[in-house]
Amino acid sequence: MSTVLAIDTSTTRTTVALVQDGNVLLALHHDDPIAHGEILPRLVSQLLEVENSIDEVVIGMGPGPFTGLRVGIVFGQSFAFARNIPWRGICSLDSMAAQVNEPDFIIAVDARRKEFFWAQYIDGVRVTEPNVALRQVLERLTSPIYKEGDLYPSAQFMPAVSGDVREPIYVRRPDAYPIPDGVTFRPMNALDLITAVALEKSIYNGEGPWSIEQFREELAGAGRYYLVAEKAGVVVGYCGAMLTGDVTDILTITVDEKYRRYGIGREFLKRLIDWSRNKKVEAIMLEVRIGNDAAQPLYTSNGFYPLNTRKDYYGPGLSALVMRKDL
Amino acid sequence: MMSQPLVLGIETSCDETAVGIVRGRNLLANVISSSVEEHARFGGVVPEIASRAHLEAMHSVLNRALAEAKVSLADIDAFGVTAGPGLIGALLVGVSSASGLTLALNKPLYGVNHLSAHLAVDALNSEHHLNPAIGLLVSGGHSSILKVSHYASDVKVIGSTLDDAAGEAFDKIARILKLDFPGGPAIDRVAKEGDAQAIDFPRGLTSGSDHLYDFSFSGLKTAVSRYLQKVPAAKVADVAASFQEAVVDVLISKALAAAKSEGMESLVIAGGVAANSRLRVVAAERCAKAGIELRIPPMELCTDNGAMVAALTSLAVSSGVHASSLGLAAESATGLDQVIWA
Repeated sequence: MSTVLAIDTSTTRTTVALVQDGNVLLALHHDDPIAHGEILPRLVSQLLEVENSIDEVVIGMGPGPFTGLRVGIVFGQSFAFARNIPWRGICSLDSMAAQVNEPDFIIAVDARRKEFFWAQYIDGVRVTEPNVALRQVLERLTSPIYKEGDLYPSAQFMPAVSGDVREPIYVRRPDAYPIPDGVTFRPMNALDLITAVALEKSIYNGEGPWSIEQFREELAGAGRYYLVAEKAGVVVGYCGAMLTGDVTDILTITVDEKYRRYGIGREFLKRLIDWSRNKKVEAIMLEVRIGNDAAQPLYTSNGFYPLNTRKDYYGPGLSALVMRKDL
Repeated sequence: MMSQPLVLGIETSCDETAVGIVRGRNLLANVISSSVEEHARFGGVVPEIASRAHLEAMHSVLNRALAEAKVSLADIDAFGVTAGPGLIGALLVGVSSASGLTLALNKPLYGVNHLSAHLAVDALNSEHHLNPAIGLLVSGGHSSILKVSHYASDVKVIGSTLDDAAGEAFDKIARILKLDFPGGPAIDRVAKEGDAQAIDFPRGLTSGSDHLYDFSFSGLKTAVSRYLQKVPAAKVADVAASFQEAVVDVLISKALAAAKSEGMESLVIAGGVAANSRLRVVAAERCAKAGIELRIPPMELCTDNGAMVAALTSLAVSSGVHASSLGLAAESATGLDQVIWA
């Protein structure tokens, strides 16, 4: 007789089960997107009252939102470690697939930021590695999609799923990027204005570049935050934001063309977001010129979404997209 | 009530995965795995990287600690884990690991407060009576004055920083002075060659009757940068020494004022900044003058570690404090309302 304790915390559902030689002794679940850490021990404790002798732990290794996912993984591993029994990891999408009664389909779970973790199944077998994609991309595929909500990972199906995954299935890398080499960031001061105005002219020619007077007024204004990036003593970019009531407004993020694609803009945006968080505002707003294909993905990947458009904002024919990020 | 419980403590609140084992007040093992180098190139701790590193390191750190203490998991009487404050994703790895261990072994689990644990570590490897004390906790993440009536059940925050932590101020000034990271040891070293009285930098929040025990280091930081702009040829050693003197002066003055007004006869200093040599000298001089007992735990127990969690848990067990309930919640921002989670 062999008893398996199965655990999955890869979605909003915390699911656990005791399965003895293929028979489900008890399966429990609880739905809460942020309390896996509190729920899981309570559910497992109820299972152990039914059967305390466990031979193996089977763990859902994701993909799923990282913080909740790790709760189930480290709990299961530590339980197995303390009992000196083996643990086996499976792909969490596979326990959802085990509940589908048709051959070809896609399983997708919420990855936040309007994206899904997903995998494709043909003849009931997973044919892709778990991946992450926007909803629109998934909808172009022709197979039926079973999403989180239609189905959930279910611990009682887990022992029958094959495989032994030893590492968490994160799919996404951490949202961290090295600070560009040799670039330093500091507050903007009056001595930076000549370089800044020159950069404005070269980059925004025809889109209303700021004059030195405008910069001076900005720097002197209340609730402003301006930074420059410096490489080898030369200012290669600047950014600025202002606090207006319950939101902050990003006024500029500008990087010398020669120094683009080094992550300077990303670092500027990160610092402006950090500053905004410290100001305890509800949201951050910005305008981006429609057609500025370099900047928009940076904003989207940092959680900004389009709000509306402002026609001819930068001059005739140069409209702006207003974007917002809720904090 | 057990007087000499064998206790295992887990700490994962920031970037150190740490496990400590104590028997009563005797330290048996203290193992730390740090992800600090992975964060260096990002200019600060990245929570998701720290959390991933905790999961990777947890079981090897547990194994090493058990081997070092020469005990097995089954021998452990009680487990402790840092439940807050800290990075939520990082805390959850430690709390969930501890939950898995204790449910598997049917042993009690104590969720403990990180700040209290920093002070309770002073109980280790000595039999001195644990007097009620004022705690001064100074590190890269904290600058707090704590009133410790009882280490395992009654600790209150009576002052904290309004802006930067003391350790952060050292890092920032070191950067301005083009010294190494981390800034604390670098400034300490350079300051030895300088004149601490050369420049009279401001002592934040020392006038008036508001914020008696709170700190503010942002004005000092600005004063140092302004001074350097005005006097570009200033001697770095003098600036470092004068800056350090201002920080140390405020920390010790406020801690001693708190001891006096709260009627405490002991001062415990913990946290990474307790390594600062000038802080130790000034604290010793002024405590002697004020007739206050000064206690500073050994350096390796001042930074984040698991031994402090085990030490606090052990004190809780031996003073009859109840274990935490099943499914205790990790809390990223928590004061000191609870020393041990209910």
